[in-house]
Amino acid sequence: MAKVTVDGREVVVPDNGNVLEACRIAGVDVPHFCYHPRLSIVGQCRMCMVEIEGMPKIQASCTVPVRDGMVVSASSEKALAARNATMEFLLINHPLDCPICDQAGECKLQDNAFAAGLPVSRTSEPRRQYPGYDRTGIGPHVIADMTRCIQCTRCIRFCAEIAGTGELTFIERGGHTIVWTHEGKVLDNEWSACTADVCPVGALTTKDFRFRKRVWWLDKARSVCTGCEIGCNISIEHRDRQVFRFLPRPNPDVNDYWMCDYGRFRAEELNAQDFTRPVVKDGGSTKETNWGDALERIQKAVDEAIKAKGAASILVIGSANLSTEENYLLNSLFRTRLGVPNVEFVVDNGALRRIKNPKAEGNQEGWLKGLESAPNSRGAVAAGVTRALSDSALEKLSSGKFTPAVLYVADAAFAKKASDPAFVQAARKAGFVAVHARTKNALTEVADVVLPVASLSGKEGTFVNSQRRIQAFSIAIVPPPVVRTDMEVLLHLGKRWGVFDTRWTAGDVFELLKKEIPLYADAERESRAVAGYPAVISPASAYDSIFSPEEAEAKLIAAAAEGRNG
Amino acid sequence: MSQKKSGFHPAGYEPVLLARLGKPNSRHIDGYVADGGYSSWKKILSGVKTGEWTPVKVTDLVKASGLRGRGGAGFPTGLKWTFVPPKEKRGGKPVYLLCNCDESEPGTFKDRLLIETDPHQLLEGMMLASFALDVKHAYIYIRGEMVHGAEYLNEAVSEAYAKGFLGTDIQGSGLTLDITVHRGAGAYICGEETALIESLEGKRGHPRIKPPFPAVSGVWSSPTVVNNVETLACVKHILDRGPDWFKTLGRNEKNTGPKLYCISGHVERPGVYEGPMGLPFLELLALAGGVRGGKKIKAVIPGGASAPMLTAEEVQSLPLDFDGVAAAKSMLGSAAIMVMDENTDMVKAVTNISKFFAHESCGQCTPCREGTPWLNKMLKRIVAGQGKRQDLDLMLQIANQMGNGMTICVFADAAIAPVLSGVTKFRSEFEAYIAKSAALDYQLPAPAAVTDKVAARVAEGIHS
Ligand SMILES: Cc1cc2nc3c(=O)[nH]c(=O)nc-3n(C[C@H](O)[C@H](O)[C@H](O)COP(=O)(O)O)c2cc1C
Ligand code: SF4
Ligand code: SF4
Ligand code: SF4
Ligand code: FES
Repeated sequence: MAKVTVDGREVVVPDNGNVLEACRIAGVDVPHFCYHPRLSIVGQCRMCMVEIEGMPKIQASCTVPVRDGMVVSASSEKALAARNATMEFLLINHPLDCPICDQAGECKLQDNAFAAGLPVSRTSEPRRQYPGYDRTGIGPHVIADMTRCIQCTRCIRFCAEIAGTGELTFIERGGHTIVWTHEGKVLDNEWSACTADVCPVGALTTKDFRFRKRVWWLDKARSVCTGCEIGCNISIEHRDRQVFRFLPRPNPDVNDYWMCDYGRFRAEELNAQDFTRPVVKDGGSTKETNWGDALERIQKAVDEAIKAKGAASILVIGSANLSTEENYLLNSLFRTRLGVPNVEFVVDNGALRRIKNPKAEGNQEGWLKGLESAPNSRGAVAAGVTRALSDSALEKLSSGKFTPAVLYVADAAFAKKASDPAFVQAARKAGFVAVHARTKNALTEVADVVLPVASLSGKEGTFVNSQRRIQAFSIAIVPPPVVRTDMEVLLHLGKRWGVFDTRWTAGDVFELLKKEIPLYADAERESRAVAGYPAVISPASAYDSIFSPEEAEAKLIAAAAEGRNG
Repeated sequence: MSQKKSGFHPAGYEPVLLARLGKPNSRHIDGYVADGGYSSWKKILSGVKTGEWTPVKVTDLVKASGLRGRGGAGFPTGLKWTFVPPKEKRGGKPVYLLCNCDESEPGTFKDRLLIETDPHQLLEGMMLASFALDVKHAYIYIRGEMVHGAEYLNEAVSEAYAKGFLGTDIQGSGLTLDITVHRGAGAYICGEETALIESLEGKRGHPRIKPPFPAVSGVWSSPTVVNNVETLACVKHILDRGPDWFKTLGRNEKNTGPKLYCISGHVERPGVYEGPMGLPFLELLALAGGVRGGKKIKAVIPGGASAPMLTAEEVQSLPLDFDGVAAAKSMLGSAAIMVMDENTDMVKAVTNISKFFAHESCGQCTPCREGTPWLNKMLKRIVAGQGKRQDLDLMLQIANQMGNGMTICVFADAAIAPVLSGVTKFRSEFEAYIAKSAALDYQLPAPAAVTDKVAARVAEGIHS
């Protein structure tokens, strides 16, 4: 630890920190472009200039390691003049057409120009043009526009140091420098869109989001990606009940600053909502109905089955896509209250997803790896839902050895199996089929009752990721009228047998989990370890203001400085 | 070489570095050995086991000689060598010696002469330096355009291997040394030592942030010493003839040894001249036959394009050595002396130099990447008769925003030197250009023109 004085404020900074980080810990905002907490220090943009006692020349603060007793003037006249100079140089060739640039509103150049730039331009020379290198796709997701590039090399370093694929490079030299793919290469790695995240300006944007929405209109909700078991922390960015994009939400213990393209571009899938009202089968025909009628039919079928054939004649399928709270409610209603022995789930192995985070627990060779293509198999297990093995009721149903009187599926898309014709055919033989569903699939076609439920964007709860970390996600969008969350459905259904209170929130259910599941006794909804699991503790407070990576990082550094998270 | 042997040095001065210039086959080893070459290296090869010769002893001789780097900065060579951490603090890492033969400073052509006429002189200097520094593998980084130089160096290296001056356990001494010639791709910035290191590692020639300095962590993260060709050649002579002799050449204790001067521009006989360190400018000019056509001097660049320009008065009693030129607020740099006569258009001269720097900036640092072309664009505009009243002050302000720590390497400081000195010292010439300008003030487009444009676009349905 080093004691550093910044503009008269003394702060304690980890020994491997640099002066820019010291300034941020001291709460002094030193503008910067090329510095990124997870990329190598290159000191190229020359934006973060400060004065340091004992050093005659002005210094790029990110390039100077802290030393005990250092005295930094981050706001002296000389420092401000140096930063204004760099701003002026950055702007002389910039198009300055923010109104038609998609980065506007979340552009570092715009912010810093606003905060520190000169009010007038002193150049009258023609601005640099990049024919052939403007608004051009350089990969499946990323569009590059070199007229906006400030040559900070963050994107190059991301590809080289994080992705390890090195598609991007400088070509040409000096004022002609172009940041582009190596000859014959395309920017097509598993995390290519992270280059647009790290790009401080509008030089790299994603095809998928570009010009879809001005970013200042977007509301943000803290959520968790459901693409795989890693559970990257994300921000769901939405407006007018429509999801526009996911951005990674920095969490140094999980996804760090990153997320994969697969997970990221599932965002707009959340907008699909085939079912907006409960649907029931009457004889051969289907019709929309109200919730009372739909739940009534389920209650009746369940009661009758128990009476006629016993609780073992019922099969309940939970899901690794549902929150731990939802799986818990499902299990306590059916298994605990009604005595149904078969409350099971299965989870698919998907393509291997990877997130670079050498510092995170549970990583292999610097990578967190996600094989399961659902976020919460561990939460389902913790909630008491049984992982279906070869002799399970679910497998027996698939192989035609078991025909349930009632089949209750809490997630119509619980696994690939749900669309497998053989399974669907077997399921159809059940006396009564009820499913929770948002979009149509083969299983909803054969169901007697389809309960319309909200997507991730409408729900709150917790998942347990592959590191066994409990991660909370919150509501982005209130579901459409009549559509309910899985939790609400289960609460209302349970109320019919007098077990739940329909006013419960996910937080209330979590308190129940803590009381009833020993593993959860010491757990906290966000970011604390499950007791008995490897103790992985992350400072929840560090990502309160999670939408600014810089802020989050500054807090983390501060936390480290205070010895809060080692 | 068309240069005549007589007349490239002051009368009574015995050439050292160019002593073998003009000898038949001067670049081959037999002639070199016949002239007493490799005697210092042999001394060490036979004296290392007996303990007569130690690395420290060599370093001390170099220190005592007062040798300062000939690459531009004039840093004391022996002192630089002592920055390499001792063996026990290197964590098992080897030490590398890199010979900087990138020579691209405009007006500089001395290293090329050395390697093309007497490459073994350099090789022997490298061998001695390698011994002093515990180097097992040394590299010569040669500028891409020097095709012949690279060829000759490679030949010389092969000859040295064949004669048993390089390799493993050289002549039973237990010493090992390999030398590799590495060709650059022809970028000025690769002469900057950390860019050179990056380039040698196979990367783009981008200068590194310092510290760490190369002596601690250079090529392949190992302790590295970078020295100029002429510097290393001097080492050979220090070992041959001793530091006391070395110090007899030179103006004072701090500016010692033989020196090559490259004089070019408006002189009768441009070329490389050798003299003692501190040769007076006027003496060098006389050697070069004076100003072409007997004209008067207007300006002199004393140390390559990066050095601030001096006026005729400032060079009258100028001694050409590091401290002498520094006292005149310029620098000896690579000792590339460019003479401009009274008819020189200083505006065009400065514009031309600024074009070089705009072209050669590596592009990492914002002030240098953006500032060098900006200065060049403004100068070109002034030359084209479009100068504005505010341009000169603006140029000085821009230049001052680029140097003094604003960038990773000192290229930017080099780039602004000719602009700052040129505009300040020859301001009236710039003003004369601007006075003739067609558009003296910045102008906004007439509001009517803008509204007409918008109206046209609305008519086309582009605007609503
Ligand atoms: C932009 C730039 C270009 C340079 N070019 C050369 C060069 O071509 N040759 C050279 O020997 N030194 C060059 N130098 C100086 C080197 O960085 C380094 O100081 C030198 O090679 C050290 O050798 P010396 O101590 O023997 O002088 C250059 C420096 C800068 C900043
Ligand atoms: S494209 Fe963006 S991230 Fe890449 S160098 Fe340019 S400004 Fe930086
Ligand atoms: S690695 Fe997994 S959790 Fe992370 S973004 Fe990709 S799919 Fe989502
Ligand atoms: S000062 Fe210029 S040449 Fe030197 S590193 Fe910066 S951009 Fe490159
Ligand atoms: S942030 Fe420090 S130089 Fe770019």
